[in-house]
Amino acid sequence: MAQTILAVDDDVDILDLLEISLDSDGYNVITAGDGLDAIAKAKSHMPDLIVLDLMMPKMDGFEVIDNLRLDSQTRAIPVIMLTARAQITEKLQGLDAGADDYITKPFDLKELSARIKAVLGRTQPTKYINPLIGAMGDWFSETGVEQLATHLKTAATIQQRLLPQVPPDIPGFDINGVLRSSTSVSGDFYDFILLDDGCLGMVIADVRGKGIPAALLMVMIRTALRLVCRQESSPAAVIKSINDLLVIDTEPDLFATMVYGILDPNAMTFTYSNAGHCHPLHLKDTENRKNRGTGIRGKKVTIHQLRTGGMVAGSFDFAEFENETVELHSGDTIFFYTDGITEAEREKDGAFYGEERLLDVIGSSKNLSAEMICKTIEENLVNFIGRKQQTDDLTLVVLKATADGVEGHQY
Amino acid sequence: MFETSISQHNTPILRVNGKIIGNAVDALRHEMRAQIEQGGGHLILDLTDVPLLDSSALGAIIATLQALKKSDGRLVLLNPQEAVQNVLAVTRLDTVLEIFQDEADAVSAFSRG
Repeated sequence: MAQTILAVDDDVDILDLLEISLDSDGYNVITAGDGLDAIAKAKSHMPDLIVLDLMMPKMDGFEVIDNLRLDSQTRAIPVIMLTARAQITEKLQGLDAGADDYITKPFDLKELSARIKAVLGRTQPTKYINPLIGAMGDWFSETGVEQLATHLKTAATIQQRLLPQVPPDIPGFDINGVLRSSTSVSGDFYDFILLDDGCLGMVIADVRGKGIPAALLMVMIRTALRLVCRQESSPAAVIKSINDLLVIDTEPDLFATMVYGILDPNAMTFTYSNAGHCHPLHLKDTENRKNRGTGIRGKKVTIHQLRTGGMVAGSFDFAEFENETVELHSGDTIFFYTDGITEAEREKDGAFYGEERLLDVIGSSKNLSAEMICKTIEENLVNFIGRKQQTDDLTLVVLKATADGVEGHQY
Repeated sequence: MFETSISQHNTPILRVNGKIIGNAVDALRHEMRAQIEQGGGHLILDLTDVPLLDSSALGAIIATLQALKKSDGRLVLLNPQEAVQNVLAVTRLDTVLEIFQDEADAVSAFSRG
């Protein structure tokens, strides 16, 4: 992308000359006729460099520089001073005020062009950290940035430890999950919580946005959920509580999509509520089930989407949620995922991974262990994307029924 | 990526062109705010040329909806395409948002008041 240069001079002829010359050098050129206009345009256009006349009515170049340096957004924009006066004191004063270079009128266009190139080459890398400088304010310093990097690493470690470290051990079931974060910290999460009577609470969630803001909300939701799931008996009531907490504590544009469900290994049921999350897929080994007595193993699989629930959690105080209970049989698999999977884009053509591709891989890997299903899908997805950096967090959780309850287990 | 027009009933129509993801979300948020300030509290968001929007874009739409509702204003989505319709359906936001396929219907919704 072409770099943008703001040219400032009260002399219209010089301004025209600068515009034509810089334009032919391939820059985007914006112009300002006085100091006040220059400051306004610097703030609205965030140019890569400013060519600034020193002597102007109303506000001179020194004052413009002072103003730019006061604002954390414009502080780092490099400035080349144009001065008609060749006195050494003026030049020193300009450099002292924070100009990166100066050029004396009348100037040679080739010299100006060379100086612009040199200053941009020197200062361009800092442009990428300008937003960081703005956000950190007075905290911005070598030590400050080092601290920030350490904080990010620590935050990522803390968050990693909030994810299940080992899969839950539930007789008759094989359960596993995987999470790949697109930034150091993530807005996705999944969790397994051992409840009374041998039941297991399972959650997969995707917090709006990415990075640090999403991660903060993720930690809040995980903590609240771990407490609330012991106070409320139904998944819908748990999600309603989380919804109401988020409505009170956050802005309406911060929300999460999530599925919370309770696996009852004795009753062989999964009762869940889905708050606006992409529908988990329940693969039923139906033919297998029908022909149990005959000993013939069929291969027909039907898919039921777990859609019951309500809206995204955290935006609306009036949101209501419902439960659904599904029966589980040996050979059934429930596949939970976040949209980071289906919406992953292929590098070469921008095509989406999509639900169909996902179903194909699930179909061909359904006889593997839960851990291997996760790995197979993850590998398939990474190959599909190509070398492009992953753009969203992605999470998948696999729940496999390996025996029909306690009785089935004894066979 | 934004184009605005004014409907017969003086409601601004904000037509967005392109995916609303990443930095485009901030631009949309500012644009919606500016349109609402000028348009007497209602807004039609035309999604005909939006192939995709991300969760942050949904956040911006929810925030706009809530802000408008506070002042008895309305937000109407016009002609969302398949991928966007799917997102609105899965998140169930289609149950709280007014969505029309046709501009005339969207505009007449405002005349019904």
